[in-house]
Amino acid sequence: MSRIIFHIDANSAYLSWEAVYRLQHGAEIDLREIPSIVGGDEKKRHGIVLAKSIPAKKYNIITGESVHSALQKCPDLVIVPPNYERYINASNSMIDLLSQYSPHIQRYSIDEVFMDFSNTDTYYLDTAYEIKDRIKKELGFTVNIGIGPNKLLAKVASDFKKPDKVHTLFSHEIAEKMWPLAVENLFMVGLRTKSKLNSRGIYTIGELAKLNRDYLYSWLKKPGLLIWDYANGIENSDVKGKSPPIKSVGNSTTTAFDVETSTEAHKVLLALCEMVGMRIRNLNSCGSVISVGLKNNNFIRYSHQRKLDIPTSSTNTIYKNVVSLFNEVWTNEPLRHLSVSISDISSDEFFQLSLLENYNKRDKILDETIDKLRFKFGYNSVIRSCFLHSGINPIIGGVMMEEEYPMMSSKL
Amino acid sequence: MKVLMKQIEMIAWFNLGDYPVPLRYRITSEDYTNRVVKIDKILFREEEKLAGNRMILYRCESIIDNIQRIFELKYEISTCKWYLYKM
Repeated sequence: MSRIIFHIDANSAYLSWEAVYRLQHGAEIDLREIPSIVGGDEKKRHGIVLAKSIPAKKYNIITGESVHSALQKCPDLVIVPPNYERYINASNSMIDLLSQYSPHIQRYSIDEVFMDFSNTDTYYLDTAYEIKDRIKKELGFTVNIGIGPNKLLAKVASDFKKPDKVHTLFSHEIAEKMWPLAVENLFMVGLRTKSKLNSRGIYTIGELAKLNRDYLYSWLKKPGLLIWDYANGIENSDVKGKSPPIKSVGNSTTTAFDVETSTEAHKVLLALCEMVGMRIRNLNSCGSVISVGLKNNNFIRYSHQRKLDIPTSSTNTIYKNVVSLFNEVWTNEPLRHLSVSISDISSDEFFQLSLLENYNKRDKILDETIDKLRFKFGYNSVIRSCFLHSGINPIIGGVMMEEEYPMMSSKL
Repeated sequence: MKVLMKQIEMIAWFNLGDYPVPLRYRITSEDYTNRVVKIDKILFREEEKLAGNRMILYRCESIIDNIQRIFELKYEISTCKWYLYKM
């Protein structure tokens, strides 16, 4: 029996959630009706557009561009700061509502949900309209719902015309609804693939779909087969209830000023290690590959990594390795972006100790105690004294609860 | 009614039911004078979950300065704050 998959996508999610929150708190202006964006703080060099309203779209403002260039396009633009806690709440409320309709729900990202609606008695279009209208009435924001025989087509369908619409895209509708679209609208076709395809005269999804499969394989190899399948609407992954296991934990920061001395760099790295350490311990895991990434003031990135003999979750051990990696790779130029990550993750229930390395049980107890204090009394309740008067935050980076903050993924 | 959304001090009754019952509130006006209003009657109550933020809305009736007036109060569950929403 053929499947019915819904893809529910919140319209300009961050922005409309912020707008609804403000209206609920007595704001007179609806951010969705004026040119407005959710954007980072320019002074801290975090100034990019995270979400935009539909009136802002008319000024050609695109998600991901700098706040500075957005302001040049529209000087009256209203800029509001992001608040992830609110977004999580809004996203959870959407999931709660959807769970009333089907047990098979996959949270694909913070504002996108797949729902398997096969094998139900009710007519899917009626339900789709009901869901859309209930979200609008009860939760105050609008969504697009795409309906298709698989996740890919459902996702393409939800992207058709916005906002507050229901679209279908079944196999017999592909030629009419999907093939005329520009090739970059296809899932997994990014900037690079787009220019490759354009260079050989392929501009629409239909042109891609009609290519010979073997020809595409000889040219683009395996990813070529994937996008050929997608262009023909072939995709059959399940609606997964559980998110895939976490493979790495990392945090990064763009500093408000260029970091020029190694003491400063070490402090920023330590602050990142604090967050990475807390997160990996919170997952009851430890990791054995530690890596450091740097971006200098000319926006050139490089990184360096190392595999440890004993997996670790200790902030101090991570930091010790991070510093030595950093010292090996840094060439004394000013830095604007630093990152720390740990991968090759395993459970921390038991692991093989090594005779050649120091293992101090008290390190673990110390970390646990500090974590407990921080969860109970706030992140800044216990900080390292080296951060006092340094102007650097003692803990840098976000996302404490992985499960609650679904990340974007390239896998459907 | 005009939207005010002003935070107020509140005495409420948390009984065995699902929702707290507002009894009387105190509001500080711009000239720093306080006024206490006793809530005579709750006309209706409604829970809203806009953008996932739970708030309970009460439409109430009271005698203020010898005039019977209708106003709306809001209780935000996540922050435990009371607001005079509309008057």
